[in-house]
Amino acid sequence: MIQVRKAKAKNGTIVEYLDEIIGSGGMKDVYFTPDRKHVVAFFRDKQDRQAQERLEMITGVYRERIFNQEGGAYWENLFCWPSQMVEDDKGRIGVVVSTYQNHFFFATGSVNSDFLKIKGREKEGKWFASPSNRNKYLDPAERGCWLDYLRISILLSRAVRRMHAAGLAHSDLSYKNVLIDPAGGHACIIDIDGLVVPGKFPPDVVGTPDFIAPEVIKTCRLDRTDLNRKLPSIATDRHALAVLIYMYLLLRHPLRGDKVHDLDDPQRDEDLSMGERALFVEHLADRSNKIRLDNLKPLELPWKDTAALPCQITGPYLSKLFQQAFVDGLHCPEKRPTADEWEQALIKTVDLLQPCANPQCEQKWYVFDNTKSPKCPFCGTAYKGKLPVLNLYSSRHDGKFLPDNHRLMVYTGQSLFPWHVNRNIVPNERLSLQDRQRVGYFIFHNSTWLLVNERLPGLIDLASKQPVPPGSRIALSDNSQILFSKENGGRLAHIQLVDA
Amino acid sequence: MSRRLPIYIAIDTSGSMYGEAIQSVNVGLQAMLTALRQDPHALDSVHLSVITFDIEVKELFPLTPLSQVQIGEIICPRSGPTYTGEALALIVERTKRDIISSTSERKGDWRPMLFLMTDGSPSDVARYDEILPQIKNCHFGRIIACAAGPKAKIDQLRKLTDTIVSLDTTDSTAFSSFFKWVSASVEMRSSSIGAGSADVLPPPPAEIQIVI
Repeated sequence: MIQVRKAKAKNGTIVEYLDEIIGSGGMKDVYFTPDRKHVVAFFRDKQDRQAQERLEMITGVYRERIFNQEGGAYWENLFCWPSQMVEDDKGRIGVVVSTYQNHFFFATGSVNSDFLKIKGREKEGKWFASPSNRNKYLDPAERGCWLDYLRISILLSRAVRRMHAAGLAHSDLSYKNVLIDPAGGHACIIDIDGLVVPGKFPPDVVGTPDFIAPEVIKTCRLDRTDLNRKLPSIATDRHALAVLIYMYLLLRHPLRGDKVHDLDDPQRDEDLSMGERALFVEHLADRSNKIRLDNLKPLELPWKDTAALPCQITGPYLSKLFQQAFVDGLHCPEKRPTADEWEQALIKTVDLLQPCANPQCEQKWYVFDNTKSPKCPFCGTAYKGKLPVLNLYSSRHDGKFLPDNHRLMVYTGQSLFPWHVNRNIVPNERLSLQDRQRVGYFIFHNSTWLLVNERLPGLIDLASKQPVPPGSRIALSDNSQILFSKENGGRLAHIQLVDA
Repeated sequence: MSRRLPIYIAIDTSGSMYGEAIQSVNVGLQAMLTALRQDPHALDSVHLSVITFDIEVKELFPLTPLSQVQIGEIICPRSGPTYTGEALALIVERTKRDIISSTSERKGDWRPMLFLMTDGSPSDVARYDEILPQIKNCHFGRIIACAAGPKAKIDQLRKLTDTIVSLDTTDSTAFSSFFKWVSASVEMRSSSIGAGSADVLPPPPAEIQIVI
């Protein structure tokens, strides 16, 4: 019989926990509460006054700042945020956190009747971030498709954006501290107790290998009090976020090429290639750190072949940010894209997706690129047929329509959402329930592409100047124009019919 | 290709290990293998080799990718000497053969790790002393010796490494915690690094004490 023990919160609340360690991390031992809806994670080391003060802030003011606001409930799924700080009778300090949701544990695990015995274990991000782990060992039902990784990247960017907006840096973003569920399209940031508040609480950790920003590695041998020492911050979170997104979408590390900096000492080579001399594997001007094909295992292809799958396959918005993160901003932290920029670019990229025509394609979706003969970059299946592309423009104060640098690729079943028809509507956590529903959809019927209007009262076919009321439809032809709405921020679509 | 992390495990199978001790080692090794395979980082990099030593030195299997490792039952003679020196000699030979060094065009392996477990002391002391300098030249990233039970001679192990883990007994609890610790040491390579220090071992579980 497991004993029930008690710990006390500052306000006097008693929290019960079962006296049996269910897991141990680098710094904490974790116990279930009797109802198993929460866990209590006790720090093994004594927490000094500053550490306790930080935990109080994280479970108090900072938590409220994010959760007790309009749309606050949205964040419950994206953060596993500690709710209380407690102390037990042995003087151990702990935090109370919700138990991870069921979808963050492997449902089937690995192939061959789960030969790795990982069923029921946490879905740590690394399982999904290397070609052998994802494509060889994991059960196909666990793998998810490219669209799922895009969605996960959106959720992560959004969560990081929210933390940064509150002035907080996670300081140790890595695939260990982010649980993802590609099959269901979920993501959640965990281990939030190490939060850094610039100028107030310094970081305990420098980060996790693969995700530590170059300036932190370069200066990690300096004393902590040295003014030149760089410690985790919002700027280093931005580096880690960019690496996570790159790895999930392209299954390779942006800095792990084949350039060798030290022939004798692998650790020094590692420090140089992740730190002082870090160089993007896809750097266009300096190819010295490219990934050499002759060193690759068959399983690593095509992912590690940067010629077959350059970062440009993620579309124009994301490849621009990858350049910014790994070329311009790699050694220049202030140039790195913000989490907000990643979120916006990822959301716009969703509008460029096409379903792959090959039913066997594992990635199922790809970014349509009509500058070349369009095909799925993952399986090579070509796109055949006519495809409407909607280029979006929006009205500014003087009634002129200006391009929004935003396009929508159409496929059968593609939805038109409120954020497509009005520039002022942004798809994020604050979106009203009404604005989350689609307003129309596209369908290929009798050799014609149609937009079926479901809920847009002001839809107008500009060629005939005729309204297209809800319930009716409009055929999409080359060079035609549709006005979605006359409201402030309302958009106009210029249609291109691409023939492939 | 990503860097490999070569790990050599050398296990004493001399006569004194006969019985419960070797059974416990078998169980512990299997558990270690399972734990390592549940770690996606290890699965991506670890290559493992197990060597046993008594009057004979045997390579159970050469350096093999973690996902392909199969560990058969280790058996040991009822009595006989402990040729620790010979075992180290084989390890020196194997590292020379197996370890891929970096070239200007290719990243080589991580520095290898060596775990050596013994419940006694080398019977071939001269050979042991002769081979130690060569072991130092193999550039192991870490050498960890495990002194199992009261008869293990810590002084001898100290010549090999500063990191000595001492088990009070040679029963299943002790060995299972040792092998758990081995996998934790490997997994540590991929976890958060503290802002204060650089190279630390995971905290040993309760049954193990580290003798420095």
